[in-house]
Amino acid sequence: MSEHVETVAPATLSERLGDRINPLVVKEIRQGLRTRVFWVCFGLMLLACVLLSLMAYADVKDGGYRARGNTYFFAYFVCLGLVHFFVIPYSAYRSLAREREDETWVLLALTGLGPRRILRGKVTSFLAQAALYASAVGPFLLFSYYLNGIDLPTILIVLVLGAAWLVFLTVLGVCAATLADGRLGRAFVHFLVLGMLAGGVAQGLGGAFALGEGGSRLMREKEFFYVIGIALWLMLSYGWLLFEAAAARLSLVTEDYSRGPRRALVVQVLVSAGVVAALWWSQGQNREVATAAGVVGCLHLTLSGLFVISDVDGQARALRATTRAWSLFRPGAVRGFRLMVLMIAGWSFFCAVLGWNSDDTRNNWRSLTYVIFAAAAYPILYFAVAILVGRMPRSDRMSSPAAVRVLFVSLAGLGSVLPPLLALLVDEKADNGLINLLNPIVGLVAFGQHEYSKDEPKMTVELLYFLCGVAALAAFAADRTLVEREQRVHAS
Amino acid sequence: MSLLQVKGLRRDYGALRAVDDVTFELEAGTILGFIGPNGAGKSTTMRIIATLDTPTAGEVLLDGQSVVDSPDKARPLIGYMPDRYGTYDDVTVWEFLDFFARAYGLKGAVRHKRVASVMEFTGLNPLKDKLTSALSKGMKQRVALGRTLLHDPKLLILDEPADGLDPRARIELRELLRALADQGKAVLISSHILTELAEICDTCAIIEQGKLLATGKVADLLAQSQLGTGTELVMRLAAVAEGEAAYERAERVLLEQPRVGQVSRETGQLRVRLELEQGATREQVDEAAARLLAALVGAGVPVCAFSHRELNLEDAFMTVTKGRVA
Repeated sequence: MSEHVETVAPATLSERLGDRINPLVVKEIRQGLRTRVFWVCFGLMLLACVLLSLMAYADVKDGGYRARGNTYFFAYFVCLGLVHFFVIPYSAYRSLAREREDETWVLLALTGLGPRRILRGKVTSFLAQAALYASAVGPFLLFSYYLNGIDLPTILIVLVLGAAWLVFLTVLGVCAATLADGRLGRAFVHFLVLGMLAGGVAQGLGGAFALGEGGSRLMREKEFFYVIGIALWLMLSYGWLLFEAAAARLSLVTEDYSRGPRRALVVQVLVSAGVVAALWWSQGQNREVATAAGVVGCLHLTLSGLFVISDVDGQARALRATTRAWSLFRPGAVRGFRLMVLMIAGWSFFCAVLGWNSDDTRNNWRSLTYVIFAAAAYPILYFAVAILVGRMPRSDRMSSPAAVRVLFVSLAGLGSVLPPLLALLVDEKADNGLINLLNPIVGLVAFGQHEYSKDEPKMTVELLYFLCGVAALAAFAADRTLVEREQRVHAS
Repeated sequence: MSLLQVKGLRRDYGALRAVDDVTFELEAGTILGFIGPNGAGKSTTMRIIATLDTPTAGEVLLDGQSVVDSPDKARPLIGYMPDRYGTYDDVTVWEFLDFFARAYGLKGAVRHKRVASVMEFTGLNPLKDKLTSALSKGMKQRVALGRTLLHDPKLLILDEPADGLDPRARIELRELLRALADQGKAVLISSHILTELAEICDTCAIIEQGKLLATGKVADLLAQSQLGTGTELVMRLAAVAEGEAAYERAERVLLEQPRVGQVSRETGQLRVRLELEQGATREQVDEAAARLLAALVGAGVPVCAFSHRELNLEDAFMTVTKGRVA
């Protein structure tokens, strides 16, 4: 049994092609086509489309011109959308969740396929099933064009956006399946996924309805294509980020699990920088574009960064030899924290540069610049404080990744609520700038405010320097703490 | 050099030390039984060897290579079967094995032949087109074993493979494992069914609270656990009027005799452990037993049943472990 077979007949072309396909795709499609869900959904969807077509025929058979295409297009799209935006992502979620519940995931991980290839196989197989559904509905969608009332570019745009939405929701489902381990957590995630997908269906169908009704009119607007482009970019880039995050969560500790999500985040931010620069340029070098991008970008980096900075301390022995001091994509909280500090600071600096080079000479230009820096300083400060509280004590009680995230949210919450209360206690206004200097919400708003009566920003530049200085000191202390903990973990 | 060398393995989960300085070796072509109560650290040790976890300290060498430093190189040499069989619904036996063969990178005709040979070895050919969800537990376990063999690993790590199997399936599993060991594969197996392990394992390792308490052949374990040569006499007294006093008299008489190690009373039986020389023959054991019986009868102890029992792995396990968990 253990002997290797040395002499084998040459493989046929189909076999060679079959060998090149991701094994997960083969397995999932074999499994998927045997499930009752597939055939029931496929049958019902096809039946609904046929019935709708008969209705359409009855509706237009007298030969008079009626613009019914958009209505029937949407009706057909509802049939497809329910499957694409709910059944497929939910099946993808269940498929991976079962792999984890049944612990078959471990067996897959040991084959050497790697989590990214396994996830890619999962997503691809469900997209292949989605393509089968789409192939059935495709002729009906095209048929709606002949019913008048909808043009081909609109159909194309709806299908492209629908496909991107399908990919995003499928990846979201797969990512959600990696979230919880315990039974209670899994039940919670299950309901969360159902809720998210219900929302996804509503959004997808709502968008399709809006485009179907007013697509040809909207297409005459210049901004329409910007919106479409940004929507596509957001769906695909967040889909990629979620995919990499899921792969990281499923990786073994001996694997370089952090490289994928951190690289995806950096690429997303770099491309977004290009998009923001292009938008800023096209809008006549508008300072408000730079400020809005600065604040929104920092908010996005805060949410994503929360998962990066709360990585575990140190890394598996197998990875240490090839990790350099500035290998920021490698596992370990210290490198995650440094990466996020650099990215947040870099993003804020980039947006500030755009702001400085803006053409408009409004009075509030200083406030608009201050708020960009403040938007970077607050997350850095609260990241650092959460790390210091969670990981500076020698006890490991609050040092887990989840504990650090909870600490961040709690501290940011306290930092937002307590200063206004304190201000009221000392008979000051709740939004007093000085008392709310470290308040991530009121403080940020205050830095963006301009007092037109005095023609100066509400917050002085010295307060901004102070905030940035505190954030820098806290970041330094957090960095040292993480370095010390990593050394301790590696020494043991 | 041993195929598998585990040296000073330690695994901490926060304040909990799940595995504490575990050291053992496993030769190619042998079966090592890993025994311990629930929560003893068996599965954690096995997961570390299978590259699914990393140790806090210590080293695992497989074929001379560090599993901890080079897990990617170690994985092709390891076949791991967790305590759950891990089969898929809506997939036939052949499709299941074919999928894993693809996942292991086997291509074309090589893959087909490999799957066929594994199915033949595990006796799954008649079930080729049956859905795995429709299989019995024993058959699912065979499918899982077949999966671990697809890439022809040198080391098999089987976590509780006999759990929940009926006697027939257990015997069949035992035969399969023996055949694999005869092919030169090293097998590391954990089980709660100690009689099962005693029959198939060349060596055993007893672990409790993360610590390896004893390791070696069953006879060595008995020696390490100070159970003597492995012979115990079991006797029952007739229900006479004196009752309890008869047992006390019997104990007194027995303890006066030479070569009597320990006397205990359990559920109406007296158990006497003999202290004979290492390598005592059957005749010597019989002679010592006959002398004891004569002494008891001579003292008027109403013996109505008298037999001797070989000490086994279960006795060693019960003596060495205390039933604590880490």
